[in-house]
Amino acid sequence: MKTRRAAIAASLALTSLLAAACGSGADSGSGDGGPVTLTFQSLSDQPAAIAATNKIVGAWNQAHPDTQVKVVQAGWDSAYDKLITQFNAGTAPDIVHYEAAGIGPFAADGYLADLSPYLSEQKRADIPKGVLDSVTVDSKVVAYPTELQSYVVFANKKLLEQSGAQVPTGETMTWDQLRQLAKTATKDGKYGLGWGLSSPTATFVAMAPAFGGKYFEGTGDQAQISVGQGEMALPQLVHDMNATDHSILPVTLTQSGGKALAPFYAGQVAMTVQGSYQAANIEKDAPKDLDWVALPPIAGPAGPAQAANPQTLSVNKDSKHVEQAAKFLDFFTSTENLAALNEADTLIPASNSAREALDKKLGAKKGWSTILASGKYLTSAPYLFAGKYAQWKDTVATPAYQRFLANQIDANTLAQQLKDGWKSVGK
Amino acid sequence: MRWSVRPAQYLALVLYLLFLGFPLLWLISASVKSSAELNSLSVNLIPSEWHWDNYGEALSRQGLLHSAFNSLLVALASTVLAILISVPAAYVLARLKGKLRIAGVTWILVSQVFPVVLVILPLFLVLRTLGLADSLVGLTLVHTTYILPFALWMLQGYVAAIPVDLEEAGAMDGATRFTVLRTIVFPLLAPGVVATAMFSFVSSWNEFFFALVLLQSPENYTLPITLTMFIGGEGKVALGPLAAGAVLAAIPSIAFFSLLRKKLTGGLMAGAVKG
Repeated sequence: MKTRRAAIAASLALTSLLAAACGSGADSGSGDGGPVTLTFQSLSDQPAAIAATNKIVGAWNQAHPDTQVKVVQAGWDSAYDKLITQFNAGTAPDIVHYEAAGIGPFAADGYLADLSPYLSEQKRADIPKGVLDSVTVDSKVVAYPTELQSYVVFANKKLLEQSGAQVPTGETMTWDQLRQLAKTATKDGKYGLGWGLSSPTATFVAMAPAFGGKYFEGTGDQAQISVGQGEMALPQLVHDMNATDHSILPVTLTQSGGKALAPFYAGQVAMTVQGSYQAANIEKDAPKDLDWVALPPIAGPAGPAQAANPQTLSVNKDSKHVEQAAKFLDFFTSTENLAALNEADTLIPASNSAREALDKKLGAKKGWSTILASGKYLTSAPYLFAGKYAQWKDTVATPAYQRFLANQIDANTLAQQLKDGWKSVGK
Repeated sequence: MRWSVRPAQYLALVLYLLFLGFPLLWLISASVKSSAELNSLSVNLIPSEWHWDNYGEALSRQGLLHSAFNSLLVALASTVLAILISVPAAYVLARLKGKLRIAGVTWILVSQVFPVVLVILPLFLVLRTLGLADSLVGLTLVHTTYILPFALWMLQGYVAAIPVDLEEAGAMDGATRFTVLRTIVFPLLAPGVVATAMFSFVSSWNEFFFALVLLQSPENYTLPITLTMFIGGEGKVALGPLAAGAVLAAIPSIAFFSLLRKKLTGGLMAGAVKG
């Protein structure tokens, strides 16, 4: 009897599917004289950010009845696989949401429209040069940058003060200061710093500009690696803080960034290096009696620069409505809209005016002012345009850095492995 | 010494079940913990404070129920299709002799070695030509193809275990080929079909990559795709709602197994051959 019921249920499922087949079919998005419909594949994941995106799109649709935008929600996870299939099969949406580090290959393969003609001088001037460079491939602007994160040091004020350390309050602080602070705060079973470096490459490469580190020269498959003093300075510093000063909680070096927050909440570490967006999570998850602060941006010999890897909005080159899509992006990245979106996502706006607007609105809120200030120092990084970077990062650099931080290889061996590995990837 | 064997067996069984069930228990525990507790150093199985909001957020945030319905449709349809195709094919394969059988079995094994990424793009293009690229029907066909080799492999093993003597005895009694299959082979094959159906259902229910690439419209997303929406950019993960979503996602599989569990047992060959 049960078997019969199961068979009936299965047959019904089949019938429903066949019925659904008759009604399936993608919206072409192009009318014959009617309104144009643009598909916008959004990766926004936070409920507030989804709401902010929908609000912006709703406002656009209301003001532009002839050019309607339809949001198609997708996920960050495996976004690259999805996009590469869509582009290869010619089914990519008109507007693509992704990140600067990921759009390089798509731009190089000619899938993204050149947005330079549509970018007004005013808008161009409003985007920090380094950020604009991060979305410029072969002199063509291939995306509008929207949201950014920087690496910030969050500190447990009480723990620092109890250890006798002075909490820095200047516009910036130096790496040497951070090292000294961590040393001072390491006592009574507590550590000065917790730093989630299970995937250290992205962090080291992003923070290398402060030491003059570039890692790569050239673009695409022609990119050449350079691993010198500027590139080795930060890994060496972390290594020394761990192996010589013993001021880093060792387990955190094997954890992801977010996981290193737990010992920070528990008062096991006085400071932690995190993506700036974690301010919202700290506010939400930290014990109520934890008095935390965001320390000033950290400067190396070359200043407080960090690599910008903004989230981006690009236009599919094969779209029949590139101009309308570019106009929508111009609207989407207006000061007011970018400020609202970044507030929802707790990220740093990619334009100066939106950053200032957000600072005006939220500057008094804990951490925000410092985090937004760090956005001023974000700069372009050559790794964004190095063709085999992702493969090198996963197969060569990350294991090599992990071995180095675990004291299994020395600095010279690390540098050699990074260089040799670059030559061997993709062969 | 014999008296101590049975308790030891039970103890081993309990430990084994705990070992198997612990991840699920931990998942359930995580689904009712607050964000603060999930991000703390505490490793308690019982939450300090029961936080049911995760379920509300999981259900309201990403259209989880609609995706679950899509998954259910695709999984059930793929299972039915795979079974309908593989039962006769498995019978033929199991009863074949010589090189043809070897060729058939080899083909099944070879079809399993191609990585998914190798076939995804041509598959996408073919489906797009057929107008099935962004549809549950297209995904069902892909899942059926994806499940079929293993289902065939499993079932031909079950068929091979049914003695040919039984079929011959039926034929001696004057039964037609169809009657032999209907009254002798299929009843004996039922537990194998159930086991294969379970495997097929779970494979389709959990399949991620094909669904990710083939489905473009959110209204067609299956559950695994929707669950990834809880994993955001910049390493953000909504751990509580994700765990709650995963618990809800496991329920249909568990229900399906519970429904068919009895069919798996009951003596495959009981009374078939008199000793």
